[in-house]
Amino acid sequence: MGEYALLYILFAPFAGALALIFISNRQPLLVRSVAAGSAFVSLLASIYLFYAYDPVKGGFQFVQKYEWSKQLGISLHLGVDGIGTPLVLASSILLFAGIFVSWHIKDRAKEFYIWLLILAAATIGVFMSLDLFFLYFFYEMSVIPMYLLLGMWGSHTKKYLEMTDSEGLKQRDSVGFIFNFGSNSKEYAAMKLVLFLSAFAVAALMGILLIYKYAGLNTFDILVLREQANLMNIPVLGTTLDKIIWVLVFFGFASIAPLWPLHSWSPVGHAAAPAATSMLHAGVLMKLGHFSIIRVAFEILPETTRELMPIAAVLCMFSIIYGGFVAFYAKDTKYVIGYSSSSHMGYVFLGMAALNYISLSGAVIYMFAHAMATGMLFAMAGWVYDQTHTRDIPSLGGLSNKMPFISACFVVACMASIGMPGTINFIAEIMIVVGSWNKYPLQVIVAMLGIVLTLAYLFKMMRSLFYGPMNQKYSHAHDAISTVDRLPLLIMISISIGFGIFPMHLYDVVRSGVDPLIARITHVVPVAELDDESGAKRRGGILETTVSVTAERLSRLSPEVPEKGRE
Amino acid sequence: MTFSLNMSFSDLLLLLPEILLTCWLCVVLIADFSLPRLPKERLAYLSIAGLVVTLGCLAWFDVHRISGTLFGNMFVLDRMAIFFKAIILVATILVILASIEYVNRFTLFRGEYYCLVVMSAIGMMFMASANDLLSVFVSLEFATLGFYVLVSYLRDDVASNEGGLKFFILGVFAAGLLAYGISLVYGETGKLVFSEMVSAKPTPGLIIGFLLIFASLGFKIGAVPFHAWIPDTYHGAPTPVTTFLSIAPKAAAFAILLRIFLVALGTFKPLWVSLLVAVSILSMTYGNIVAIAQRNIKRLLAYSGIAQVGNVLIGLAAGTKMGNDAILFYILAYLFANIGAFAVVIAVSQAIGRDEIEDYRGLNRRSPFLAFSMLLFLLSLAGVPPLAGFIGKLYIFVAAIKEGLYTLIVVGLINIVISMYYYLIVVKQMYINEPLDPSPISISGPMKAVIYVGLAGTLVIGIYPQPFTDWVVDATLMFANFIGPSATVVPPVPPLGG
Repeated sequence: MGEYALLYILFAPFAGALALIFISNRQPLLVRSVAAGSAFVSLLASIYLFYAYDPVKGGFQFVQKYEWSKQLGISLHLGVDGIGTPLVLASSILLFAGIFVSWHIKDRAKEFYIWLLILAAATIGVFMSLDLFFLYFFYEMSVIPMYLLLGMWGSHTKKYLEMTDSEGLKQRDSVGFIFNFGSNSKEYAAMKLVLFLSAFAVAALMGILLIYKYAGLNTFDILVLREQANLMNIPVLGTTLDKIIWVLVFFGFASIAPLWPLHSWSPVGHAAAPAATSMLHAGVLMKLGHFSIIRVAFEILPETTRELMPIAAVLCMFSIIYGGFVAFYAKDTKYVIGYSSSSHMGYVFLGMAALNYISLSGAVIYMFAHAMATGMLFAMAGWVYDQTHTRDIPSLGGLSNKMPFISACFVVACMASIGMPGTINFIAEIMIVVGSWNKYPLQVIVAMLGIVLTLAYLFKMMRSLFYGPMNQKYSHAHDAISTVDRLPLLIMISISIGFGIFPMHLYDVVRSGVDPLIARITHVVPVAELDDESGAKRRGGILETTVSVTAERLSRLSPEVPEKGRE
Repeated sequence: MTFSLNMSFSDLLLLLPEILLTCWLCVVLIADFSLPRLPKERLAYLSIAGLVVTLGCLAWFDVHRISGTLFGNMFVLDRMAIFFKAIILVATILVILASIEYVNRFTLFRGEYYCLVVMSAIGMMFMASANDLLSVFVSLEFATLGFYVLVSYLRDDVASNEGGLKFFILGVFAAGLLAYGISLVYGETGKLVFSEMVSAKPTPGLIIGFLLIFASLGFKIGAVPFHAWIPDTYHGAPTPVTTFLSIAPKAAAFAILLRIFLVALGTFKPLWVSLLVAVSILSMTYGNIVAIAQRNIKRLLAYSGIAQVGNVLIGLAAGTKMGNDAILFYILAYLFANIGAFAVVIAVSQAIGRDEIEDYRGLNRRSPFLAFSMLLFLLSLAGVPPLAGFIGKLYIFVAAIKEGLYTLIVVGLINIVISMYYYLIVVKQMYINEPLDPSPISISGPMKAVIYVGLAGTLVIGIYPQPFTDWVVDATLMFANFIGPSATVVPPVPPLGG
């Protein structure tokens, strides 16, 4: 039962989507309940997964392997390690919350939930794939639903961006459509998102195919490839093959992360998307980039990663600062949150670039933490938009009278985003900062600046949305009163704060995934034998980081795959 | 070469599917003439019954591994031939089902329509078995003959007549090239059967001869630069005929191309790889870029078909057993997606009478089923997981990267992104734009059946491809010895089986 947890998590949303096809749109309650039910199954299973994952044993657990195509060497190989587990949990939380956030969708609700479930299931699939083919399979599968979600239920960015008039472009299907970079229409945002992500995804696919060819093992299995593939020192085009593969994989996946300068699709997409989609998009879809880089580049090309990861350290500074400044000057609620997300993703890249235990664990925890924080922000921006039909920050104001609950939650979400102590974001940020300080002091200073910027733009937005004089035009706006509306926010807040106060299990789980990875990259050879006492020792505290303890601990986290699930 | 006809009854067994279908064709013709009151759709179902029986016969052959050659190696029935015949028969069945409603648009000769379709199918079945240049010529012309008539079946429609004329003139020209190429090859080698040409020397005459043969087959599959007839013919022809044209002759011509390149020209592989790479890059890029500018859905699918052929040619350029498997698999995936997409086009044009992309505005509101099917078919053509087209593309890329064809793969991958753009434009019309006329669209039963088959194929092959890859790997076992670019020993066609 327990060892099939991954299958439940992955296939419950697919099954829900399939069931929805046969339900008529005239039964809105049934449609919503089926969607919520399948998301709930997935959520329960992933909570079980998170607590049943054994961080002492480490490695890949709950492994499922099914032969899929002998000729191509593909198997449906699922399994989670300490990095995948929290991200799977985050995805199913956001899916569950997202279904309630979009509870009031009237137009073609059935289709909306179908695509939302497919989007979330595909995202979850990436987080548990141990096969390069399926990693790409689910990755690409998660991009297409975005097109429909943005296009059908999204909203145009209105004149407050003061670019072109969204209605002024009648002939959007012509070739000129591609080059019309100033368009604010949702169609443009959706098309840009899909083409941009697909273009970079095929670059990553090229990298994957090169790994497949040069490994010569006739398999896409990550675990086999990382043990046996020898891709080093093959001269190609004046450089070595491993560098080419690494660059293809890194930038291919970094586009969805989104790393500066590949971020331009992301804020436009956020702004156009409906609330639940933005939540999933910013909350987990972006993390596909970091996760896939960790899974493919870090696992299979550890030495090249050590050599080339400084690229990320340089680019992440621009991500942080650029995103922060644009967010400060943006006048559209969703633009602010969108750019803030792409700025915050720079921290994750910083944590990944420093390549040590603390910073990478911080990066993974930050992915989880950011999923909750940005999920809340987008959910509330969506609520405000639903009530006022505008996202124009200057024209809003004084909403706290009308919606006290939302404004209170907004304060909490801002605190979480900034990284106030007491939220999980704080722990993640401090780990990234502490972990990266030795290697990249400049970047850490920039990250600190970024935190100040976050404070500035979020408080600025909070002040002009909820406080100050009320715009009478929006006097009809009302608060989230019903349980259905409050539930998603409460879930995300309680998780954010809960893990902020009791981060130990999350930390242990993440650490058990990060340790063997960093050891591979930094050539720490695992000690062969280790007694059980270190298991007690490692519960000492968050920042006990002496290398000796870490090296000891490594031996527990054997690089082999566990046989099948937990013993 | 002797043409002695000392064959036994058991030899004729190999021809059983063709013989069966020919007899059935006569039955349908007689029924059409002698029972003028008979509703024409009965004829359609009668033809389908015959095709299904033939398909069953092929399945029986496949299960019992019956194979062999006839007429001094002119006709070969191996598992690859069975595979292609099955593809052609399935395509024919689906096309006839999709035609039932459409045929009412024809003012005359509604009964003959089905006979012509089945006749072309018989010709293409012979193409799939053609194992020497003469039978290639005869069967290819036999198959095309029916199409010349079918394309211009809408007698009052200028576009249909124009398409038919273009197709005819260029088709005859291609036939001339083929005949000339065959004569050159025969003059140089003195052989006609593919497997006997293995030891030929690459003399200029032989190379020119094969280039001419390749040009005429390139015309059949619609590869750039032999594609000129495709858009107008696809646009003008009755849509079911376009559907038929877009898959069956291509599959049959690929059967011939595989035999020519891998059996007859196996030893010249270094010479032809660059030719195929060039044609493949041109087809993919030209097809996809020009498709962006199309306003008519049939023309869009025509150009997308040109691009798809470019993709298939990647597998041919790989020139290995795996490349072959990939081609077969890709054609299988393409069959369902393409016929499905055209079936939606037929269903929509039945309701609104036009084929412009603009007419698909808000199709999701008018018929969610049609819009959803079209979405899946287009995404499968674009190569999006978890649909069949994605596995097909990946299979082809894997086969090509094993041969080190990096340029082709890079171009192929870029083309996936380009193609996604114009497929999504159709999706945008269907899903995002609001309909001008929100009245629902009703779909007839046979149409629905075709779309369901297409959906089932597209999804099942995409989600669980193992049985299908097993099938294609099995079907091309005869090419098993073709590994590596320096293959010098070419195996003959396998000996007589069962």
